[in-house]
Amino acid sequence: MLLLLIIIIPLASSALSLLIKKKNLKALGIIATLGSFSELLITFIIGMYVVEYGVYSFTSYLSVDSLGLILMAILAISNFSASWYSGSYLKAEMEKEIIGFTRMRQYFILLHLFIFAMFFAIITTNPIIMWISIEATTLSTAFLISFYNKPASMEAAWKYLIINSVGLLLGFFGTLLFLYPAMASGNYELANWQTLMSCASSFDPFIAKIAFIFILIGYGTKVGLVPMHTWLPDAHSKAPAPISALFSGVLLNVAFLAVLRFKSVIDISIGKYFSQELFIFFGVLSIVIAAFIIFIQKNYKRLLAYHSIEHMGIITLGFGFGGIASFAALLHLIYHSLAKSALFLLAGNIILKYSSTKIEKVSGMIKTLPVTSVLFFIGFLALAGIPPFGIFITEFTILSTGFYINPVIVIIVLLSLVLVVAGIIKHVSEMIFGEPAEGLPVGEAGINTVFPIVIIVAILIFISFFIPAEMQSLLRSATLNY
Amino acid sequence: MISGSPQILFFLTSLIFGSVIFMHLSKRNSTIIFFYLIQSLIVSGLLLDLSIEKASFFLILTATITLVVKAIIAPYFFRRLIHRHHLNFSVSTYLNGPLTLVVLALLTAFSYSHFFKPLCILAIENEKALLIAVAMIFNSLFLIINRKGVLSQMIGILSLENAIVTFAYIAGLEAGPALQLGILFDILVWVIIASVFASMLFKQFGSLDVNEMKNLKEE
Repeated sequence: MLLLLIIIIPLASSALSLLIKKKNLKALGIIATLGSFSELLITFIIGMYVVEYGVYSFTSYLSVDSLGLILMAILAISNFSASWYSGSYLKAEMEKEIIGFTRMRQYFILLHLFIFAMFFAIITTNPIIMWISIEATTLSTAFLISFYNKPASMEAAWKYLIINSVGLLLGFFGTLLFLYPAMASGNYELANWQTLMSCASSFDPFIAKIAFIFILIGYGTKVGLVPMHTWLPDAHSKAPAPISALFSGVLLNVAFLAVLRFKSVIDISIGKYFSQELFIFFGVLSIVIAAFIIFIQKNYKRLLAYHSIEHMGIITLGFGFGGIASFAALLHLIYHSLAKSALFLLAGNIILKYSSTKIEKVSGMIKTLPVTSVLFFIGFLALAGIPPFGIFITEFTILSTGFYINPVIVIIVLLSLVLVVAGIIKHVSEMIFGEPAEGLPVGEAGINTVFPIVIIVAILIFISFFIPAEMQSLLRSATLNY
Repeated sequence: MISGSPQILFFLTSLIFGSVIFMHLSKRNSTIIFFYLIQSLIVSGLLLDLSIEKASFFLILTATITLVVKAIIAPYFFRRLIHRHHLNFSVSTYLNGPLTLVVLALLTAFSYSHFFKPLCILAIENEKALLIAVAMIFNSLFLIINRKGVLSQMIGILSLENAIVTFAYIAGLEAGPALQLGILFDILVWVIIASVFASMLFKQFGSLDVNEMKNLKEE
């Protein structure tokens, strides 16, 4: 029942937002915040069930296991902060006459549909319904990317639509091939992940390999793995800040969930070696390419976007190495999602103050946006893998596991990470220190543009130092197959 | 019925394959839409034949809705786009005609190579039709890449979807009716959103040529 509620609430929020008229900005913000808070509460209750019993189901079509719960929790937390933040952020943009009320209402309608699609993708047990849901995220967010109606954002949205549509169609082809063993034994509509895994041993090895390649390329496009990543920096940099936060912090993970589900099937079918090699290849490629571009980057939103590519590369690499590295990769996914969501929301504050996404146009943030700059610095330190933040431990674990498998790859990744850290320190210090432009007002845009981010950063810092026993057990259970 | 007759299935699949080739060679947008319509009619016909064979009302309903969405609604939206913005002629391609044909031939040869031959165990009696469907997938992908026009890219994506559905039909991998409806709904919403986007792009850039879209920079 709770699973039904968690998909009904965003739909209802979207419908309610459609009914709001007469420039009632507050109502839009309240609906979003209350809706996302309800989703967070429901996720927490479901979490208690899953920790206790291992799985929470509603019919055979909707179910949450440990892995699904972790992603649901990330989605619920990020959505709550982003929804709360959105009201004030868009209000500020309205005051600057960047957007009007109609645009703002469209934003909230599409935001709730986006959240609905992501929740559905996580909780469904059917691979085709998962594909439909992830495709629905593409359709619901295309207009959010072109939100500001500028030539560059229109272009970014079109590129996003085309590349992701092609990618997801290839993923669909792979999904159909994966359904072959189940269909051959008479299962059509009820073919869920469990069915696929139970039929995996009868999967023809060649077809399994072809299917997984299509899955990895198809859903990997959505994850942002190189070389299918070209849409990501454009889309993430042109979308409104809260949407970018949800893209990088949640959507990439949802697509990666699809890849992981299929990985657990193919590993039963033909062993772990094939998927391991592919994961390592795409992971390393993503890290290396992103590292170079991060170093020379001139736009801080694009910097964050490429940073997401790099981190998804690390996560993919971790799952490729397997064992304890998978555990670390899943923990890395959590840390990255929280930190990146916070950073994109902070980027929103910077845009409101400086009206530019160029790094050279932003300086002296410590004076003009003191709270934002401190949180920004913390977020980047966390993502750069500086101790004592959790990402340092996860990267260390992944690379030390990988050292026994392929030391050359580990050295290449280490060098890339050094480049990333150097790039980040260079860009972030340029933005935070120095003298701000004359006449720039000092102070944050309001408590509602800071407090939602403080919550995420607080959770990030807390779990960097202390992982509750329940969370450890969830992580262990979620990575058992990997 | 059709699935039980390899020759008829091969013939129909060859027609769909031919439609993709002719899409590559067409210069007029209306011609590309015409070939898409042919493709969609054949694919819908295959699904209708399957639904009659299984004597399921739900399947027949799904096949009928497929026909309506792919063969009526989608072409309608595209024709409206052409009419509204006077897009009679398709924009150019990255590769010229002869080179395009060479690439198409290479992609088709690749589909028939030993790399994809093992896929034939999915439908041993319809091996040739299955490999043509694989070739269609690659050729549709190439259509999206090679064409500079937004409309051609849209039709390329729908052609890719048709190619995958054809493959699924031949291999016996078609999804159940409820899932098919879900996929159809996705396709319908995609067509509407893409058409709206195409209009917005035309208003913004005055053209549907992707070469005109040069605003995205690394800065």
